[in-house]
Amino acid sequence: MRILFFAQLKDITRCAEMQLTCAETDADGLWRAVLAAHPGLEPHRGSIRLAKNAEYAAPDARFTEADEIALIPPVSGG
Amino acid sequence: MHIEIQLTREPIPDHWPPPAGARMGAWAEFRGVVRGEENGASIAALEYEAYEPMAEREIRRSLLDLAATWPCLAAQVIHRLGVVAVGATAIYVGVAATHRAEAFALLAGFLNRLKQDVPIWKRRALPEVEPPSPRKIQPALPPEAGSAVTAILQRLRQLCPPLETERVPLHAARGRVLRETVDAPEDQPACDRSAVDGYAVRLDDASGTFQIVDEIRAGDWKPRELHPGQAVRIATGGALPCANLQVVMREAAEVRGPVLRVRQRDAERHIRFRGEAAGKGQPLLQAGTVLSAGALGLLASVGGVRPRVTRLPRALHLATGNEIVAPDQVPAPGQIRDSNSTLVREFLGQWNMAPGQRRLAEDEARLAAELQQLDPALDLLLISGGASVGEHDFTRRLLAGAGFEIHIHKANARPGKPLIVAQRGRTLALGLPGNPLAHFVCLNLYVRTALAHWSGAAQPPGFQTGRLTTDLHSDGQARETFWPARWRQAAGAATLTPLRWSSSGDLTALAEANALLRIAGGTGQLPSGSVVEFWPCQE
Repeated sequence: MRILFFAQLKDITRCAEMQLTCAETDADGLWRAVLAAHPGLEPHRGSIRLAKNAEYAAPDARFTEADEIALIPPVSGG
Repeated sequence: MHIEIQLTREPIPDHWPPPAGARMGAWAEFRGVVRGEENGASIAALEYEAYEPMAEREIRRSLLDLAATWPCLAAQVIHRLGVVAVGATAIYVGVAATHRAEAFALLAGFLNRLKQDVPIWKRRALPEVEPPSPRKIQPALPPEAGSAVTAILQRLRQLCPPLETERVPLHAARGRVLRETVDAPEDQPACDRSAVDGYAVRLDDASGTFQIVDEIRAGDWKPRELHPGQAVRIATGGALPCANLQVVMREAAEVRGPVLRVRQRDAERHIRFRGEAAGKGQPLLQAGTVLSAGALGLLASVGGVRPRVTRLPRALHLATGNEIVAPDQVPAPGQIRDSNSTLVREFLGQWNMAPGQRRLAEDEARLAAELQQLDPALDLLLISGGASVGEHDFTRRLLAGAGFEIHIHKANARPGKPLIVAQRGRTLALGLPGNPLAHFVCLNLYVRTALAHWSGAAQPPGFQTGRLTTDLHSDGQARETFWPARWRQAAGAATLTPLRWSSSGDLTALAEANALLRIAGGTGQLPSGSVVEFWPCQE
């Protein structure tokens, strides 16, 4: 699956996106996989919302290979 | 409620006209401007970033949500991205309503939502203004003429996020876009192999004469220790029997029965070492790669027989017009053969797509029924307009009537001015002007851009630069012009030969065109050798 990073998260991961190969999983499983690749995100986890295919994901959402996931840090538009 | 949303890197105009509408009694506007101070420090500019498809979706969702409480007629939201200087407008919101109370309430509610849910970020504050670096070669493109097509392409990029993926067998994968990174499952090659036909001997064995003790062909696996004075006959690609060997080329050896005499030893070991091409876990192909024959061969070599690729868009093409007949029929006076259906089918076929196609008379009721019954899973709807009067408004009215939101209703370019870009659910609709050259231009610029962004390709198409091989006589028309041309690579640079083009109904240029020259509005004559922008077309 494709994982997108935005704003200050890009400074931590030093990339705008990564490709993750994993079986269907929930938010916890997804976080484990993302943190394994980018442990620097751990302190920000509490403030990051997950989006699936350009929509905020429900807490019980399942994520599959086909999904585009985005890590949304606190927004600051306007 | 009618909603228009733009996320743009262009400055927001100082004046934005309110929409027309007899029911409108209030037009409330808000502009957020960049303050000269951020977190106590003075700044010159802010840089904004967005997750564009989601930002648009969240803006729309918020507006629709709020409109349930405060019914309004229309809303226009423009948010800047990129570098925005102090004092410039970063966000513009206009709300039209019957009365002012709803307009104010919706406006205020929306701005609160924006700051909570819409994925747009102030990326960083800049101590000095960094002008965005324009990549323009052609000097002085008038912004009105140049920005329109750029804006349409940007809008299409926003409307077409990458589609879902699927796994397909290799024989169905050529031209598709890989959406996973494929790593080497093991070292490539997996063991030391001989690079030549010859004889393997110990590297530390300086003898001139050897006893041939075995023969290894490609595919054999015969590990063994070689002792001084021993050699193994080995074929190209054969797995070496142990480490620390050298392969003596056949040409440097003389063989009599089982005895090998080496005429000459050189420094080269003639071995393809394990992991030399790629180590285990090293990426062989990156996500976003368009799968070529070579890439598929590479996948086959590592057992990647069902690569994950972007699924193909589902497309439907409706050719409308009372004057068109099938190509195998003889047109009556006043009629023409329908060439657009062939053009569209073959164009989409280049990306493995097989669109559904129907040829329909310009019967509004019939077409409206057709649009109502569309498969909601349809990704792309192309409507070729007929040549009859009012075709443009006809298509636009039909789409709007069927619940499509109109994003673009005119291109500031020729040919192809009466372009419509609309969306309903996941279906992107493009209304294309009827004449074939306009079709060719719109397919190559707009449909190609939509397909590329849907596909998730790492390198979407874009404008390139090259030099004219002959003078080009343009007529100084105000609108940006796309001129059919033939491009080729000569001495490391692109050269472009404009093709004869008499009118936008002219098909003769299509047969040869493989590029579209982009001629800025107001351009008269361009001498041979001028640097021009062009858009390469698939051949």
